[in-house]
Amino acid sequence: MKLALTINGAEHAIDLLAPAPACRFQLGDSPERSAQVEMPEPGVYSVLMDGRSYDAYVEETPNGLVVSLQGYHFEIEARDPRRWSRKAAGSGGEGVETIASSMPGKVVRVLVAVGDTVEAGQGIAVVEAMKMQNEMKARRAGKVLSVAAKEGATVRAGEILATIG
Amino acid sequence: MFRKVLIANRGEIAVRVMRTLREMGIASVAVFSDADRTSRHVRMADEAEHIGPSPSAESYLRIDRILDAATRHGAEAIHPGYGFLSENAEFAQACEDAGLVFIGPSAESIRMMGSKTAARRTAMAAGAPVVPGVDHAITFEEAREFGHTHGYPVLLKAVAGGGGKGMRAVEREPDLESAFRNAASEALRAFGSAEIYVERLIRKPRHIEIQILGDRHGNLVHLGERECSLQRRHQKVMEECPSPLVAQHPEMRHEMGQAAIRAARAAGYYNAGTVEFLVDQERRFYFLEMNTRLQVEHPITELATGLDLVRLQVEIAAGGRLPFTQEQVAWRGSAIECRIYAEDPYSNFLPFPGKITRLTRPLGPGIRIDGCIYGGWVVPMEYDPLLAKLAVWAGTREAAIERLMRALSEYDVSGIRTNIGFFRQILEDAEFRAGRLSTAFIDEFFERHAAPQPPGDLTAVAALAAALHTLARNGAPEARPAASRWLQTGRSELLR
Repeated sequence: MKLALTINGAEHAIDLLAPAPACRFQLGDSPERSAQVEMPEPGVYSVLMDGRSYDAYVEETPNGLVVSLQGYHFEIEARDPRRWSRKAAGSGGEGVETIASSMPGKVVRVLVAVGDTVEAGQGIAVVEAMKMQNEMKARRAGKVLSVAAKEGATVRAGEILATIG
Repeated sequence: MFRKVLIANRGEIAVRVMRTLREMGIASVAVFSDADRTSRHVRMADEAEHIGPSPSAESYLRIDRILDAATRHGAEAIHPGYGFLSENAEFAQACEDAGLVFIGPSAESIRMMGSKTAARRTAMAAGAPVVPGVDHAITFEEAREFGHTHGYPVLLKAVAGGGGKGMRAVEREPDLESAFRNAASEALRAFGSAEIYVERLIRKPRHIEIQILGDRHGNLVHLGERECSLQRRHQKVMEECPSPLVAQHPEMRHEMGQAAIRAARAAGYYNAGTVEFLVDQERRFYFLEMNTRLQVEHPITELATGLDLVRLQVEIAAGGRLPFTQEQVAWRGSAIECRIYAEDPYSNFLPFPGKITRLTRPLGPGIRIDGCIYGGWVVPMEYDPLLAKLAVWAGTREAAIERLMRALSEYDVSGIRTNIGFFRQILEDAEFRAGRLSTAFIDEFFERHAAPQPPGDLTAVAALAAALHTLARNGAPEARPAASRWLQTGRSELLR
């Protein structure tokens, strides 16, 4: 059972050779490993591997899975090539840049309209949360193709505010 | 003693105050905005009253609605917590006028210590050292004059300021004009006043503050220092008692303590308050400002002294005398506190409100958590990102650091981002362990360290968990034998 994984932006492949609880798996080209896995609480994976004990907390978000483990966060998108495939979240067509909100919050100002020409570093929208305002900026110059952000609307982290071509 | 007290606040501090009230047999009244109906402080209180819509200007800052709630519920006193109306002299006065006891200093003391320049004048008159600077609002020309006389760098600050708003460091004269303009417009937006004053900038200072406590009979003591040098955006993130610097130079506690008492006495101060000092690299200390309320980081003083500051505040407000003298105050061991914020430390500390999908708190020896969060709660985006304060106590600073590392490893807050992992990285830092702290520590820390790279084994475990989770959610492949009971359970849990 093979899965393609994007872990914190890097591509990996995992091959599950035996299911839980007595797992055997192979990550990329590294040697095959064994792990004893239980799920004592929903979304919590207790993993015993090489004599060590790990508690991995898996959580589902609109952009994929977030696994928390010993204070580290892994943003993981898992794709089963045979069952369903999906483009990486937020990616558009050729040469199109998406401007996404880097934090959850409320859109307080939209600074551009469709058809505007913007320069690199120009503000696209201002998002506010917890008494702090944050301006989301264009990373490169281009023309505004679409504006999804609406003033007063609530957005999630990673939600697309506008696209630039 | 009071029979019922209203808490004019929300979040962790409202919960903190209620805990002591309950121990004292005093009923608590919570107030809440639209966003806070299911917040912990409302659920925990004996009584609760809705006071308006989510924006604080329409709820937690509405003096009329809060007094109205207090009257309706028959509260005899009001605890303001910190933030919101806690340092508002008008509110303290309005409470007294309505026949309610304000659990804090007099309106007059708040006025004398509330504005930074007035506080500076009071402190100077009391003989407390202050950073060279002016004590009144100035024009740009006066700021330039100051730079000529005292040299650069200088620091421009908002007269009505706080939290770093309206503040600009200026390294050289050509930058002064635009910095002055920006500071004034930021101050106007944040505080409704564009007034600016100027002082010498102390490079890489430590922030060390003294807790004071006085009764209405003229007794005033200090409860030692807290070092709060670790800050981001001029807001504290981690505090400790004793200060590692004071631990090396014990005479500083007495000297700063006496300076704090003199300043407080000059303002006719009673109840709990904090006098903040900047300490330069030659260990000279300068009065910074006074906070006329309970401080966020008060738990570490409680852990080191064994006192309950909220209980003492309530007893003093009810007319009681300080139950101990300065000589009877004793400090034991080492206490450190981390402010757990809903924010992403690796993305410029951007706030991260949202739903807490799962919560596991550290337990065991020496741990104290002051918090208001629970699994399933949606952290509102309208208020401060402070979720909880994790404080530990141990016999030595080294043991406290190890205990804090252990506690942080047990702490899991899922669904939102927090700075929990960042604290573990700081605690492992050699400079932190050596106690070489300053308000520039966090900026310099990011220059020394990249975001932590997880060990390879952790990546493998995370990949395995993600793969199993995806499999359980999407169903086991048909080629395999019937799904194990483990998978079935997993799937049904997840598909609920």
